[in-house]
Amino acid sequence: MPSSKLGRRAFLKDAAASVGFFAVSPSALRADPPRRSPNETYGGALIGCGGRGPSTYKEMTKDLTVEMRAQCDVKFVDKADNKMFYTDFRRVLERKDIDLVAIGTPPHWHALISIAAAEAGKDVMCEKPMTRFIAEGRAVADAFKRYKRIFQIGTFGRFGESRNKNQILTHKLMRSGLLKENPGVFVKSGGLKVKEWSGRVNVAPQTPPANLDWNLYVGASPMKPYVPPRHGGTHRGYWDYEGGGLADMAQHTLDPYQWTYGKDDTSPVEIEASAPPAHPEVCAMWGWIEMKYADGFTLVLESGEWGNKYDRKQARKPVLEDLDEESRKKFQAMPDPEPLLTFAEAVKTRKPAGGNAEAAHRCAILLHLANIAIRTGRKLKFDPVKEEFVGDDLANRYVNPPMRAPWHL
Amino acid sequence: MMQDKIAELVDQIPALDKRGTFTGPSWEEATPIFDGVLAAGKEGVTAVVAMLKDVDDGADYKARYVLHGLAQYLGRPGKEAARSLFVEALAAQLGGDRPRGAQGYVARQLQVIGTKECAAALGKLLPDPELCEYAAQALLAIRAGAVEEFRKTLPDLKGGPRLTVLQALGVLADAASADPMKAALSDGDREVRLAGGWGLARIGDAGSADAVLKAADVEAGYERIKATSSALLLAEKLLAAGKKADAARIYKHLKETRTDASEAYVAEAAAEGLAKAGG
Repeated sequence: MPSSKLGRRAFLKDAAASVGFFAVSPSALRADPPRRSPNETYGGALIGCGGRGPSTYKEMTKDLTVEMRAQCDVKFVDKADNKMFYTDFRRVLERKDIDLVAIGTPPHWHALISIAAAEAGKDVMCEKPMTRFIAEGRAVADAFKRYKRIFQIGTFGRFGESRNKNQILTHKLMRSGLLKENPGVFVKSGGLKVKEWSGRVNVAPQTPPANLDWNLYVGASPMKPYVPPRHGGTHRGYWDYEGGGLADMAQHTLDPYQWTYGKDDTSPVEIEASAPPAHPEVCAMWGWIEMKYADGFTLVLESGEWGNKYDRKQARKPVLEDLDEESRKKFQAMPDPEPLLTFAEAVKTRKPAGGNAEAAHRCAILLHLANIAIRTGRKLKFDPVKEEFVGDDLANRYVNPPMRAPWHL
Repeated sequence: MMQDKIAELVDQIPALDKRGTFTGPSWEEATPIFDGVLAAGKEGVTAVVAMLKDVDDGADYKARYVLHGLAQYLGRPGKEAARSLFVEALAAQLGGDRPRGAQGYVARQLQVIGTKECAAALGKLLPDPELCEYAAQALLAIRAGAVEEFRKTLPDLKGGPRLTVLQALGVLADAASADPMKAALSDGDREVRLAGGWGLARIGDAGSADAVLKAADVEAGYERIKATSSALLLAEKLLAAGKKADAARIYKHLKETRTDASEAYVAEAAAEGLAKAGG
């Protein structure tokens, strides 16, 4: 996958070279989208063309025949022709000849563009993390359910887990309802790029580059003056657009384990963080976060980059021996889980993809709970059904923060 | 004297590293700093606010961090009295000729910790194009006292602030604002029209169904997509409220008018809704 600048350039060049073809393509001239058949050619668009965008687009096209018909980025002010190149995603979504949309923007745009794409009848592959805050994920899941569109998050580790015998065993055990008290503890140590994706505090505002639509980039987030690190990859270090290395890496890291540990339809009920008081603008250091589910299962994130080591519990998988003999017999009779559908399979069959909006939302909730525990500096209780904190109105202000008009969920 | 004492406390916040990134003190180290500011009462808080510059270029990062740290600290149970003092002190810094950037920052801290007692002070910022968004977002986070400020201000607003406040009333699903939302449906600005329709849908106002559907029947494009979404939302709200006949009317209209293949998914969603509404 091209993730380097060279790779992105090559990708854009290839796509640009195809403009002439698309200009005369009969399918592009049709008023109505083509009828679906297994060998159908789909119209594709990429919204957010830097960073992971091209890789997300390539993943979206796997096992499908897709014609690239639009590329959209807020930094295309100088090249937008509203035929192939756009700055405004709304113009892309209006097009009837686009069926599939890859979203590679920074995360503060993921939910709004995903929802608008579903409302426009498109299927979506969206780069992780799925959302910037909890309520966004619920709105995305609701929109894709309402319009029966396909959503796949742009991280795929769960597909490998779902084919691994040991992980299937753990998954079945966790989902069996036979564990009287769940002894499982999963500890993710390191690899969360905390310092690497900390934002810079001391950069003076500047005039935005002429090719960048700063207002559209900021979108629903609070308007702040342009400072270069807020755009172009280092956006990860600012609360307004993402949530540091934790948000950037943890959906990738945790999504496979969320499947293995059978937590696609629920969330932790207690969250506690070891971290300094949070900075208002930039995502900064933290030590560890402990999240407990209602069944007793514990999930721990440990940065290894600040403070004391987490020493409350040891990592431990639930095993068959945790069941009594009668329960084991029941367990052996239980069927294996259904195989997960890839995005291509989901698009063709109109059944939910393995990394569908509901599952991706539950994983994104983990990142947000962790970051809210850091940002409030206190132990929190969470209701996984209502998707809000219990008895903490101030923490709930981070669940669904107001958006800058005209954007809203 | 007071300012010097507070400056000394604020200066205890750690320095940035060479890259310009920041690692805060532990809570154990930060708490005496926060308590020191609070011990000086409102004047202590005001003294920290006075250290804010108009432009956030990092020079005043310690003062910004202390104010935000206080907002986190005072969210803890048992800190209610100190929270009131803090909120009152911050609210007193809004308005007048204080640096706009500093006022915006104070409003954002009130979004974190504010109470209904600061709603009026935030409401006064709503007509200001530069500060309206921050004030509206703080009011929406606080909720208590917000709707009155939005209602009171809306009639006199134009441009960006008008859209912001109209949308905020939609967020709050304020039934008393149905009339200005209906009026917004025929506005010259697409975003105002969409905000009006969305607000009416959020309210679940059965009397607005025809107007919302008319707005959704505009020619193909983004406005039709979003306005149709609002019409479906209104139908869902009506259905949830037990107003099945009203919901069915909307679903039926969408099912019968979204006949182009490119809108088949809307017709399908409407048909599903219609079945639930018993239509």
